[in-house]
Amino acid sequence: MAGLTLKHVFKRYENSGKKKQQKNDFAVKDLNLLCEQGEFVALLGPSGCGKTTTLRMIAGLEEITDGEIYIGERLVNNLHPKDRNIGLAFEDYAMYPPLNVYGNVAFNLRAKGVDKGEIDKRVREIAPLMQIDDILDKMPVKLSGGQKQRVNIARAIIREPELLLMDEPLSHLDGKARQSMRVEIKRLINKIKCTTIYVTHDQLEAMSLADKIAIINFGVLQQFGTPSEVYDDPVNEFVASFIGEPPMNILETTIIKDDGTFFFTFQNSNLKIAVPSRYYSVVSDGFRCKMGVRPMDVLVGGEDSKGTPEEIATFENLGDERRIGIRVGDMLLMLITEDEKRYRSGDIIKLEVREEKTHLFDIETGNRIREQG
Amino acid sequence: MARIQLENVKKSFGKVQALNGINIDVKDKEFFVLFGPAGAGKTTILNCIAGINLPEEGMVRFNGEVVNLVDPAHRNVAMVFENYALYPQMTVYDNMAAALRSNLYKTDEETIKEKVHAAARMMKMENLLERLPSQLSNGQKQRVAMGRALVRTPNVFLMDEPLAHLDAKLRNAMRTELKEMQANLGSTCIYVTHDFMEAMALGDRIAIINKGEIVQIGSGDEIYYMPCNEFVAQLMGDPQINILPGEIKESGKGYEFCFQANGQKLAVPMPEEKALFQNIRRAGLKETDMGLRPQNVKYSFTPKEGYFKTTVYSYESIGNKSVIMADCGDYQLRMIAPNGLKIQIDQEIYVSLEVDHSMFFDPQTKEYVSRYDEESIRAFAVEQEVR
Repeated sequence: MAGLTLKHVFKRYENSGKKKQQKNDFAVKDLNLLCEQGEFVALLGPSGCGKTTTLRMIAGLEEITDGEIYIGERLVNNLHPKDRNIGLAFEDYAMYPPLNVYGNVAFNLRAKGVDKGEIDKRVREIAPLMQIDDILDKMPVKLSGGQKQRVNIARAIIREPELLLMDEPLSHLDGKARQSMRVEIKRLINKIKCTTIYVTHDQLEAMSLADKIAIINFGVLQQFGTPSEVYDDPVNEFVASFIGEPPMNILETTIIKDDGTFFFTFQNSNLKIAVPSRYYSVVSDGFRCKMGVRPMDVLVGGEDSKGTPEEIATFENLGDERRIGIRVGDMLLMLITEDEKRYRSGDIIKLEVREEKTHLFDIETGNRIREQG
Repeated sequence: MARIQLENVKKSFGKVQALNGINIDVKDKEFFVLFGPAGAGKTTILNCIAGINLPEEGMVRFNGEVVNLVDPAHRNVAMVFENYALYPQMTVYDNMAAALRSNLYKTDEETIKEKVHAAARMMKMENLLERLPSQLSNGQKQRVAMGRALVRTPNVFLMDEPLAHLDAKLRNAMRTELKEMQANLGSTCIYVTHDFMEAMALGDRIAIINKGEIVQIGSGDEIYYMPCNEFVAQLMGDPQINILPGEIKESGKGYEFCFQANGQKLAVPMPEEKALFQNIRRAGLKETDMGLRPQNVKYSFTPKEGYFKTTVYSYESIGNKSVIMADCGDYQLRMIAPNGLKIQIDQEIYVSLEVDHSMFFDPQTKEYVSRYDEESIRAFAVEQEVR
């Protein structure tokens, strides 16, 4: 077992003469990452952000333009993939169709010349862990998607790698199978305690599985932190709106000063939200920025609420919860309630915002504006 | 706009019976959702309405008239697909105008301009009219596909997973927009999805489809609170409902629900409710499956009166909240918890069931038997319909 360190890693694909390439010079740009031994790290971002490229560089399937990659203390830049001691599990299963499950799981050990008794012992050890002990003699074509993925992961971990790399292993599965596989993967990694790098575009998967999440956009690392850090304390607008379902409300605002108190105000709306006092040192009368607040932190006030009366634009009953949309100028402010009451669009509610939970973002760069001190 | 009826519609592809006697009656101006797992037959139903598939048996009616032999072009339906299907060489304007310019409609350019601009305004894409599809984002493409359907005044909008390709953020936004738009247009809409949130959010009524048959039709609330069997109960809700096999036993004056967890025999008292006990007695059930939604399972990390001890199987965030699964041996109990708790897998946890929110199923047939508060839920459903 070992940790993983990426130091100033760059990746640039050879220019194939397309204009697009010049604009998007680097697929990965100055990436620094430190994964502790036994940590489960998710690389998360939209498609084309460079997360798979990063994984492939760690695996050695892709050359590094610049920078250093260490597995444990070993610099692996020039090591052949087979010498890096890693386990790989990809989205498509790529099994050997003429071999049964046992043969597929044992294949790598056989290729290495491990003796038969030892192979058998390890396969028998790992099979119950991955819940494939009852399908060991089945052929790949007979397996369901979930079973194939379990075999795939079993194959990756049987070599006892120092590092387990997974690229969207669940994206082929349907909703239910995905949910249960997610739980199984988490339990498995918890048991074998192998350092794991997991690529996904699904924020939910990253949030539910990972110890730490690296959020990447346009080849640049945006934030690296625990799920609750990236959720509660996003560094910029991109991270704030990428994490969470439904996404964070982000509204353009002009801050005004009224009788010594600062308020967020919005174009073509009577909504007025007090600015938390910790921001007083960084805002001023007429200051323009973006305000972010999670739908969970916007509430429907009771009868005697002092909240702003607002008309409901949209109402969605989702069974487990209900979502209300309020027009703020030409933007929509979403809120979630578990209240059983059924509203209709046009109903008036008193809107309350947990002011202390609001975030400020720079209107140009999208960077978080933080309180000073 | 039109009322759309299917009467005993059957369709097979080779040996596969895709639809096995479908009956639905979609009211004029209704937003009707077809919901079910992959391969259930949802798209085939849509294709039968559009005229793309011809049923072997049964009738398709538009406003009472049988249209089985009317070809798709003359049914005046507007379809929106998952993969937009735009003409790549045409601008957004021309894509939207294409249907009106066809031989069938032969509209003059003046009217076309009016209609395209009206639809573009509604879809908030007036600034995109001169662009080519390749210059649009996925969300914009889907907007064009819908805008194209809007320029005509079709009998019915048929939508096949139009939001499935979009990312989560956009899907949320488009979902709310779509509902607003349909309300404004006052159009009949039949919408196929496998996403339970879309079904709940959009449908005036939802038809649950499985294996080519209709399992249940009702409002979102009816289906969520009174699912007709365990299959439907498990489809509606994320995380999934808990199903606990057990037995209802008399104890002293009242009843209790007896079940097993990790080999221990447990019993929770059942709050008195005459109607429920009558229904269960009438069904002649001793053993029963109890359905309890994850928000009605409570937990504690210290021993507590009425809580039983077990261990944590998993803890994961699902966005704005988290799910704890508690290990009960043969099954796991799902429950809702806040994000960011410090929980170790396999640590001890104490769990309690809010039995007064439970529903009961026949363990053999898996059919719905009864639930707590059934009467008020029925009354609530009726009230909703009146509104």
